[in-house]
Amino acid sequence: MSEDAVIRLEDVSTVYEGESRPAIKDINLTVKRNELVYIVGPNASGKTTLIETINGLLPPFRGKVSVFGLDIKSNGQKIRCRIGYVPQDFMVKPGEPYNALDVVLMGRYGHIGFLNRPDKKDKKKALEAMKLIGIEELADRPMGKLSGGQQQKVMLARALAKNPKILLLDEPFSNLDPDSRGQIPILITKLHEEKNLTTLIVTHDIHHMLDDCNRVIVVTDGRITFDGTPENALPLIENHPHTATLEGHHH
Amino acid sequence: MIWLEYAIMQRALIACVLAGFLMGLIGVFVVRMRLSAIGYSMSHGAFAGAALGVATSINPLATGLAFASATALLIGPIADKARLHADTITSIVFPLNMALAFVFLTLVPEVGLSSQVANILWGSIISMTNSDLVYLATLFAATLATVYFVWKELFAIMFNRKLAQADGINTKPFVYLIIFLAGVVITFSLKLVGGLLIYALIFNPASTVLQFSENMRKVVVASPLVGMSTTVSGLIASLFFDLPVGSCIVIVSTIVFAVALLLSPKRRRKEENNK
Repeated sequence: MSEDAVIRLEDVSTVYEGESRPAIKDINLTVKRNELVYIVGPNASGKTTLIETINGLLPPFRGKVSVFGLDIKSNGQKIRCRIGYVPQDFMVKPGEPYNALDVVLMGRYGHIGFLNRPDKKDKKKALEAMKLIGIEELADRPMGKLSGGQQQKVMLARALAKNPKILLLDEPFSNLDPDSRGQIPILITKLHEEKNLTTLIVTHDIHHMLDDCNRVIVVTDGRITFDGTPENALPLIENHPHTATLEGHHH
Repeated sequence: MIWLEYAIMQRALIACVLAGFLMGLIGVFVVRMRLSAIGYSMSHGAFAGAALGVATSINPLATGLAFASATALLIGPIADKARLHADTITSIVFPLNMALAFVFLTLVPEVGLSSQVANILWGSIISMTNSDLVYLATLFAATLATVYFVWKELFAIMFNRKLAQADGINTKPFVYLIIFLAGVVITFSLKLVGGLLIYALIFNPASTVLQFSENMRKVVVASPLVGMSTTVSGLIASLFFDLPVGSCIVIVSTIVFAVALLLSPKRRRKEENNK
């Protein structure tokens, strides 16, 4: 793996338990340090599977996934401590017995280590992450009483609280209110630059794409059907509202 | 409280306090980790083992523990290795354990209707020995220490297992630990409540407390207290009405849960939101 390559997938296919058809097929992908990559594609095209294969939550059926030069199969736990992950459409039920600070603090658990408890420093980092996202006033509120957008911000704060090297964000703007949709993407761009992060953002809506995005990957039917600059991607995507039609134009 | 002067009753009361507390505590993890079906299989595994013990004149505690551990292995690591879904494996293991229990109970004809059989089916206060209390007390200390030391991991897994894994926690050993602990707690409480009823005491206290509290730390403290109160109340009811102790404990525990459902502010909010 070249020194700059942070994520590398070689001939990776992932099959969900109980299914015979791979959700992603023969994926070859290298992401370099400090890249801001958008993963776009129609619903159920394999975008989330790709993200969860990268952080090892889904084990690849075939091929090899390396992150920070380490094989995800044997180093998953260690690698995931350095990846901030926001899952798609994460919503807790009303009445969940956890407050927002509890949830953000959990982002630190991988660093704290077995048998240790979070200390004042961890709590401070969690509160700092909440302040950064602008939700410090929600710290003591029960998760179940927060709106969808507030919960999404809590998940973003949780991802940031671990001081990640990689951010994997799956539809991170989908539940945000119009004001936050303007602010949060700007914040992510700022953090990406300031902290030298490698950021992969999944979306099915290209209008959420950040100005600083330097690479777009289109996933269609489990395969990468386009991998290039936003300038080349946008006209194609805009002309083809269903990105499935991109297949055959590139690669 | 004349009855408390009898050693048998003192043992029963101590057993109710310890078993009620333990089942209320372990129930929080079982319910929140959505291991209810697994817990159900575990209780019937312990029941089948105890039945084997009765049939073969081996200590039912030992055979119950062996069966509960085997069930824990089967529905935990072995099912994971074989990539079997939890629903699939529990649907197979639960009826198998029941079938084995009934085979064991009828295996030796003279055992068929003995009081020992009735004890493991419905529970009995007179069956509790001093050794049982020592085992329960040891288990009580071991379970509290375990929960204290791995609280952080259990707290995160109870919120969301997938997210806990994404944060760098290896979730599998902790889930297996809870399955195994549930099996052991059930086995050691089996004599008191009975194999057919015991699962209610794992499920009811935690579900009762979860109707009210929005703080997981408070849930973990309150659920064992509710478990303990219902076992003691059930014991008193069984003495008062001269009914099997296990049945009384489960009826009391179910009434408490039903009242909690009626008074639940969370449910009321949900209903208001649905209007």
